[in-house]
Amino acid sequence: MLDRIYPYVVRIAALLFALMFLTPIFWMLSLSLTPEGGSLFAGGFNVSLDNYKTVLSRAPIFGWMGNSLVVSVVTTALVLLLASMAAYSFSRIRFPGSKVLFILFLSAMMIPGEATLIPLYLLMRDVDLLGTRVSLILPAIAGPMGIFILKQFFDGLPKDLEEAARIDGAGFFKIWYRIFLPLSRPALAALGIFTFIGSWNDYVWPLISISDKAYMTITLGLPMFQSSYNQEYALPMTANALAAIPVLIVFLIFQKQIIKGIAFTGGKEM
Amino acid sequence: MATKTLTGGKNTGASARAPRSSLRRQGWVTGVLMVLPYTIFFLLFSMIPILYGFGVSFYDWSLLGDKTFIGLQNYVNLMQDEEFRTNLLNTVLFTVVSVPLITGVGLLLAVMVNGIRKGQAFLRISFFMPYVLSVSVISSIWVIFLQPYTGLLNRVLRGIGLINSEIFWLSDSTLAWASIIMATLWWTIGFVFVLFLAGLQDIPESYYEAAGLEGANRWQTFRYITFPSLSRVTVLVVVLQTIASFKIFGQSKLITGGGPAGATKTVVFSIYENGFQTFQMGYASAIAFVLMLVILVISLLQTLLMRRFGE
Repeated sequence: MLDRIYPYVVRIAALLFALMFLTPIFWMLSLSLTPEGGSLFAGGFNVSLDNYKTVLSRAPIFGWMGNSLVVSVVTTALVLLLASMAAYSFSRIRFPGSKVLFILFLSAMMIPGEATLIPLYLLMRDVDLLGTRVSLILPAIAGPMGIFILKQFFDGLPKDLEEAARIDGAGFFKIWYRIFLPLSRPALAALGIFTFIGSWNDYVWPLISISDKAYMTITLGLPMFQSSYNQEYALPMTANALAAIPVLIVFLIFQKQIIKGIAFTGGKEM
Repeated sequence: MATKTLTGGKNTGASARAPRSSLRRQGWVTGVLMVLPYTIFFLLFSMIPILYGFGVSFYDWSLLGDKTFIGLQNYVNLMQDEEFRTNLLNTVLFTVVSVPLITGVGLLLAVMVNGIRKGQAFLRISFFMPYVLSVSVISSIWVIFLQPYTGLLNRVLRGIGLINSEIFWLSDSTLAWASIIMATLWWTIGFVFVLFLAGLQDIPESYYEAAGLEGANRWQTFRYITFPSLSRVTVLVVVLQTIASFKIFGQSKLITGGGPAGATKTVVFSIYENGFQTFQMGYASAIAFVLMLVILVISLLQTLLMRRFGE
């Protein structure tokens, strides 16, 4: 008896959980589409985009998202480039001291970014980079996780292909570029997704570095805009929706790759 | 090893010797050149800051650069700092409650979803979706969600008769922590969930068939097949969650502002306030090093545990 109904119980419970998880997002959209104090269900589905117009006229939401996009894209591209070069070298070339260097990078994975906030602030100030978008990109590239993940992947690639290329006279650099990069597209995609989400959502370092409104990322600008509203929820929620909707659309289109990428990278994070 | 990579360990005839050694030298150069760009970033933005920060922690260092060497005084002061101790205790309590909770719920959701074929994509999307939002968005959603009178949570709880007076979630220290934990669970469970789901999908079907032949019931199958097979993933999840929990800042800054009366301030909150609000750079650096030490110990424990559970 219990065995018979068990699958149905699990399905119903899972569905209820899923609806609970979606509720805050629906609630956000509902508040953003109705005037202050209203909600979709109370207002008889009287939907309007007025809140969106108001928020966009009062805050440079798109400018902030542009900053986030620039910072995240450049960070991700540089991480992929530098990490895949270094990982290839560690995996296939080996030079005197390469093992020691790799272990040094590996142990740096244990260092939390929060430990370098103070010195980064002082150093960036000394070189006049504090408050710039560049200051958000540079420290993010120094993280060694990408090297570790890609080296593991490269180590697993068969050696036959590169041997054939080497007999044809290809150098190491060419083999990296022509053979390794195309072959490791799934790993690069996974690492790229992981890096991009991390950079887009970074909060504490931008909070410390950036003070000029024009250079803020969306993670930083959003709370600043919202802090001027008290006991008023439609406009802050609309700002949330504006920040969330593009991200959610990208997520829904690429959900399979994104979830796979996070599981792959997260699972290798040691 | 380098020789083997170069020639595949096969062509070791005398004729290959001369070109091989020159190729090997060329290989070293290329190898170094390919590691160099990352190494420069690593030195400038990871290694040097760490050493510099460690140095700063031995100084009384103001924002404008007035500095006096005071040895271990910052660390001594830290141990007597009532507020730091409270923030550290808050962080530890948050970690102790949220890590098992998030790990447990993530495992539960993964086990449920793993058994469902039809509609699995919808469930996966629902549980993972909040993870892609930024801490600012999720914090603001939850602040509004938790408002007394107008917030959806109180309305629902009142609607189903669970409460008959308003709950002021963010005005009571325990409830404020509960709120932060709820929001964190909602935001980050997707990560834990997909790691467990991937782990579950790696368990060979034959294990379950064998358990079925032995007449194991559902609980026994979970207890003796599923859970042990997930030991590696579980250690990974617990460690990653523990480290992330120790570094909690955004939710506490944005949901409660550290309040009420400082009850939800954390270790990183201490770094932020001492470093960038009262501008005691040396003192804040000392706090950062204590945090780093705690995280190093957790990471080392992880290495030991992983070795024990093997591949």
